[in-house]
Amino acid sequence: MKDRKVVCRCEDLTEEEIIHAIELGYDDLESLKRFTGATTGPCQGKGCLMHIIRILSQKTGKSVDEIGVTTQRQPVNPVPLYILAAKKGDEK
Amino acid sequence: MIRVAIVGGGIAGLSAAYFLARKGADVSVFEQKYLLYGASGRNSGGLTAQFVNEPLIKLALRSLELYDRIQTETGFNFLLRKDGYIKIADEKNEDALKNEVDFQKKAGVNVRIVDPDFVRNLFPDINTQTFTAAAYFADGGVVFPWPVIWGLAKGCRELGVKIYDYTPVRVEVKGNEVLGVRADSELHKADYVINAAGAWSNEISRQAGIELGNRVFREEICVTESLKPYLDPYILDVSTGVYISQSMRGEIVGGILGKEAEEVSVKSSLDFLTAYARRVTELVPKLRGMSILRQWAGAYDVGRNGMPVIGTTKVKGFIQLNGFGRNGMSLALAAGEGVAELVLKGKSRIVQPFNP
Ligand SMILES: Cc1cc2nc3c(=O)[nH]c(=O)nc-3n(C[C@H](O)[C@H](O)[C@H](O)COP(=O)(O)OP(=O)(O)OC[C@H]3O[C@@H](n4cnc5c(N)ncnc54)[C@H](O)[C@@H]3O)c2cc1C
Repeated sequence: MKDRKVVCRCEDLTEEEIIHAIELGYDDLESLKRFTGATTGPCQGKGCLMHIIRILSQKTGKSVDEIGVTTQRQPVNPVPLYILAAKKGDEK
Repeated sequence: MIRVAIVGGGIAGLSAAYFLARKGADVSVFEQKYLLYGASGRNSGGLTAQFVNEPLIKLALRSLELYDRIQTETGFNFLLRKDGYIKIADEKNEDALKNEVDFQKKAGVNVRIVDPDFVRNLFPDINTQTFTAAAYFADGGVVFPWPVIWGLAKGCRELGVKIYDYTPVRVEVKGNEVLGVRADSELHKADYVINAAGAWSNEISRQAGIELGNRVFREEICVTESLKPYLDPYILDVSTGVYISQSMRGEIVGGILGKEAEEVSVKSSLDFLTAYARRVTELVPKLRGMSILRQWAGAYDVGRNGMPVIGTTKVKGFIQLNGFGRNGMSLALAAGEGVAELVLKGKSRIVQPFNP
């Protein structure tokens, strides 16, 4: 397999697949994210968002500012349920 | 050709557009942001017909049929699983659940009361100490809302519907008749304007001079990291409003039924996350070690008496298609089909009971 440029590792998306989605008309960041799943995996975009924005900018000619960023969802890093479920004073 | 302008690119607006276009109408859909910005892009995709009146049940059963049909017609995979929808209840809520099931059975819904062990057979990790009875609707299930919207939009475009995203509009009325909708300075003339603006429907209705009075709710939801597929049905704990299901990507998707809000808001909160975490780790103790990846919130509107609002109004050409509350994914496909019939034939039996 030559030139298989993976841009989103969590969702296993290649640059080609992102370009294909843009060509199908999903050419704004919010739609592209939701159509491909990019930025919604375990890394939540930390590894891929910049690549996605770059490809979108190259394909559409829009500036990075025009494209913007997707809404950053909490939590910043994954938090286990047992920590969230703990009451004040719980040891574990 | 009849021209129809639809405000709102959620499941309700797109479904109406799809069925109108199939029958030859000239349809435009206006979405203020991107498709999926509204509740239709933020929900948990639970599909059920476990409602407490017949008109709602009819819409829901018809919608379940339409999912199969539209998937085929549009060639889009909705990731739809009919693995059942289960409501679980504690002692306090058990009687209400049983009454509901009696009614639903008479209305032709394939639902029955089952005991906690039955649920454990379907989902071995559930803690049977946390509920005393359950209502099992075998034909219900889970759909992934994103492809539903993409698929409807694709089907619409193929039928010639124009979908304008990032285009907020206002309704324009002259005398007692709609003129169309206005986007910036451009007036898009239409014979009919359909208000499918979800949580924003009150505002759109006011532009036509009609007080709609839908109540606005906000609901929060989150997903964990992915697990192998092992939770098939959708589970709603009616005692606490906590619900869970598993997406085809393996995430456990869960939330708490929404609460009425002062205004449309999609902020998420830590309070939600802790309340959810407490209950979900009681219901499914094995999830304790799983991490929350992402949380968000959505807003929806609830019509009078908890019913959707569907039909013509005193302003000629202005049609309501809103108020779907927590159940739009389960109801709105059939409602869209009904509204198309209403516009083109002057009446539709399935939506008649929801007349504004
Ligand atoms: C967290 C959560 C979980 C849910 N879970 C379920 C579930 O499991 N099962 C179920 O059946 N339902 C569920 N729902 C409810 C369901 O999502 C809604 O009932 C349904 O999506 C409503 O669809 P709609 O098309 O009426 O509204 P929306 O999808 O909100 O669409 C309305 C659209 O109108 C647009 N709009 C507003 N004003 C304007 C304007 N002036 N110009 C142009 N566009 C405008 C908005 O941007 C929006 O996109 C849930 C909802 C939430 C929030």
